[in-house]
Amino acid sequence: MKSYVLKRLLVAIPSLAIASIIVFTLPRLLPGDAVQLMVEEKAYGKDIDDLRAKLGLDRPIYVQYFAWLGNVARGNLGESLWTKRAVSEELARRLPVTLSLGVLAIFFALVMAIPIGILAAIRADTLRDYAARSVAILGLSVPGFWLATLVIILPAMWWGWTPILSFTEFSQDPAKYALQFVLPAAILGIASAAAIMRLTRAMLLEVLRQDYVRTAWSKGLSEGWVVLKHSLKNAVIPVVTILGIQLAQIFSGTVIIESIFGLPGMGRFLFDAILQRDYPVIQGINLLVVTVIVLMNLLVDMLYAVLDPRIRYS
Amino acid sequence: MQRPFDPRAISRREALTLGGGALAAAAIAPQLCTRPAMADTPKRGGTLSLRLWDPPHFDPHLTISYKTHILYTFTHSRLLKHKAGPGVAPGTFPIEGDLAESWSQPSETTYVFKLKKGVRWHNKPPVNGRELTADDVKYTFERFVAEKGNANHYMLAALERVEAVDKYTVKVMLKEPYVWFLDVVSNPMALCILPREAVEKFGDLKKPEAVIGTGPWMLDNYRPNAGATFVRHPGYFQAGLPYIDRVEMTVDEDNASRMAAFVAGKYDLGWEAAGTINRVDWVQLKDTLKQKRPKLQTLEFAANQMSHIYMRTDKPPFSDVRVRRAISLAFNRQGLLDAVAEGVGVLNPAVPAAFKEWSLPVDQLGEGAQYYKFDPARAKKLLAEAGYPNGFPATVSYATYGSTIQVDAVQLVLKYLKDVGIDAKANQQEYGAYIATTFYGKYESMAFGPQTPFLDPDNFLYGPYAPGELKNQAHVNDPVLTDMLVRQRRTADVQKRREVLYEIQRHLAKQQYYVYAPSGVYIGVWDGALKNYAPNLGYDWGGRVTAAWLDR
Repeated sequence: MKSYVLKRLLVAIPSLAIASIIVFTLPRLLPGDAVQLMVEEKAYGKDIDDLRAKLGLDRPIYVQYFAWLGNVARGNLGESLWTKRAVSEELARRLPVTLSLGVLAIFFALVMAIPIGILAAIRADTLRDYAARSVAILGLSVPGFWLATLVIILPAMWWGWTPILSFTEFSQDPAKYALQFVLPAAILGIASAAAIMRLTRAMLLEVLRQDYVRTAWSKGLSEGWVVLKHSLKNAVIPVVTILGIQLAQIFSGTVIIESIFGLPGMGRFLFDAILQRDYPVIQGINLLVVTVIVLMNLLVDMLYAVLDPRIRYS
Repeated sequence: MQRPFDPRAISRREALTLGGGALAAAAIAPQLCTRPAMADTPKRGGTLSLRLWDPPHFDPHLTISYKTHILYTFTHSRLLKHKAGPGVAPGTFPIEGDLAESWSQPSETTYVFKLKKGVRWHNKPPVNGRELTADDVKYTFERFVAEKGNANHYMLAALERVEAVDKYTVKVMLKEPYVWFLDVVSNPMALCILPREAVEKFGDLKKPEAVIGTGPWMLDNYRPNAGATFVRHPGYFQAGLPYIDRVEMTVDEDNASRMAAFVAGKYDLGWEAAGTINRVDWVQLKDTLKQKRPKLQTLEFAANQMSHIYMRTDKPPFSDVRVRRAISLAFNRQGLLDAVAEGVGVLNPAVPAAFKEWSLPVDQLGEGAQYYKFDPARAKKLLAEAGYPNGFPATVSYATYGSTIQVDAVQLVLKYLKDVGIDAKANQQEYGAYIATTFYGKYESMAFGPQTPFLDPDNFLYGPYAPGELKNQAHVNDPVLTDMLVRQRRTADVQKRREVLYEIQRHLAKQQYYVYAPSGVYIGVWDGALKNYAPNLGYDWGGRVTAAWLDR
């Protein structure tokens, strides 16, 4: 197991190196740069050149890349071109918000998806199954931002009520801090829930048709015991795999959901940074996200062994 | 006109009645500017809730962002300021002293400001509530022009030097006469007076702890991407002011969320520029608001946000005035308003109609007024006379500015051009690319886009029309015009200056170097509990609520 983890970590290094080139290069391919946006329509030519030199953007791109990479290796993600604050400080402040939202979204996704998936599987081709699958397709089809907009607008129009839209720090009021994530996390979790539910249903159906399950039935075990004890554990391995993939989807969802619900997290920070061409911030966030996703996928792979003791790593 | 929840100040029908959309500010002024009654006795206390914007940082000399400059109007003072309150008609900017007790102009190029005594900085380190002096003013002027990266420094291009004559007297010397100097000093985009110690301690003023001013409120806390709280400055130099104890600013970047929050009563002012609500949202919301917030107050006033079609007037075919006039005649301005502004708006000469004191009504533009009519048949005739009976191919460069209204407007412009035979193709550019090229005149054919919403006519005229200016997008070189542009900058007598500006507008209506689109009419909206408040154009949110109070 240890050697497997070590091998995976070593393999992650070139992945991260390639990712670093991509996250460094892509924002620079966008037309316009931070300096042009900073001075907008009022600058004179000299201001632009001065500012570009001041921010180090006048150097060749490969020089900028290696300088940045060297700093990253020393744990320094650089500083925002706009605020001059350290990117790592900015991320440290925003990461908990995004993590809270993401973790709660996954929690909601699982809480919604697994029971409905089980129900749909054990009542396959019944009205309940059709209803569950229809809801799942709806969940996959409805964009989160549209749902979020409706959730905010309609209660305001009907009852003059809105969900919490101004952010409360954990230190100010822990209960309110947690409460403000409930609605955005539920909305964010819906699309993932739909995908997980469909997969849970499909995998459970497959497992339920296997011989050992038939044996369990013939032994006279209860439905709950057969499904939850003997079938579900084997069915959820692919679900755990998709959960790793869903992490990336959930993060991309935070970009819009955080803006709609006024949550000062990393997604919104990334959105603003892209608009402002704040390269160090874009690079820092993307590198962090890539790292987290690589590590989470490693964790998912390791979970297989926990779920299925027959799986061995060598 | 200020009214308890009457959603329309000028309807499309009223606009047409008043001249087919040729609404000059002077014509609408009597309608729009009925004075609200001064309400009751001022009350101390309360919290004003606003939707504002997250600033990129807090150094006003290192960003031109309105997001920073608006926040400074709560915390900082200027030498002079624009008067605010129900007595001031939107679109006018009468000047009064802020830190300056009085001022004089001993010569064409010299201004002397006498400062108020006993003005205290916020009691925050490293300034710790010391008294403001002439050295602070001198320091601010010098930093404004010297700081690399201050894209606003052109505003003080005429500055030669500043002297602190004594503790309370500042002398400013210009290189040449520039009669708009006092307007620049009053403008919240320019000279909020800053403390040297803060810059020395923090290196610059980007951090929130460096926000130390002499203004009516102090920055109490800043929550990045979330909001900020301002609390009353107990040592503010205007006795008894401000009345409002706290200002809560919320960052809200989603329109649906802003609308919902406003309907639910969470914001005291409209959520868009200058405390307004855009007309499209307003039309959707007004009935709901009538039920949910029946005491809302509204005031409509013309916007100074103005777009224009610009073209390479230094090259054929646009060097021919007949072609430019044809383009203006092909431009259905009322059609544009119908499509993007619910039919409500004002026609603009070269100085936006929003500036009541300086803008000439379109029907008084003389010979040039005829080119504001929508007359495609005549446009075709003019093109034929110019040697283009079948039109010509063209490209219209533009950026969307993230606005569907802008995209709709461009589509209409393309249609109008095609209707008279100009085969115009759209060239959409990303914002940064547009600003770096087209906006600075680096394009081949035509373009369409908004101008910066300045508060004075000089900025709308000198940059776009003076030869050699970077913002001369149309590459205009007209000696007669240039002479008038310089003359208005040197004419101190306001009436005479107005005459020069009128003459410029008449000349430009004939020449059509830029073909101006109409502007919308803003809807200023505020909670009925906010008294002694009136909206106006510009960034001075803080100035407009300094003497206002809440009567909840």
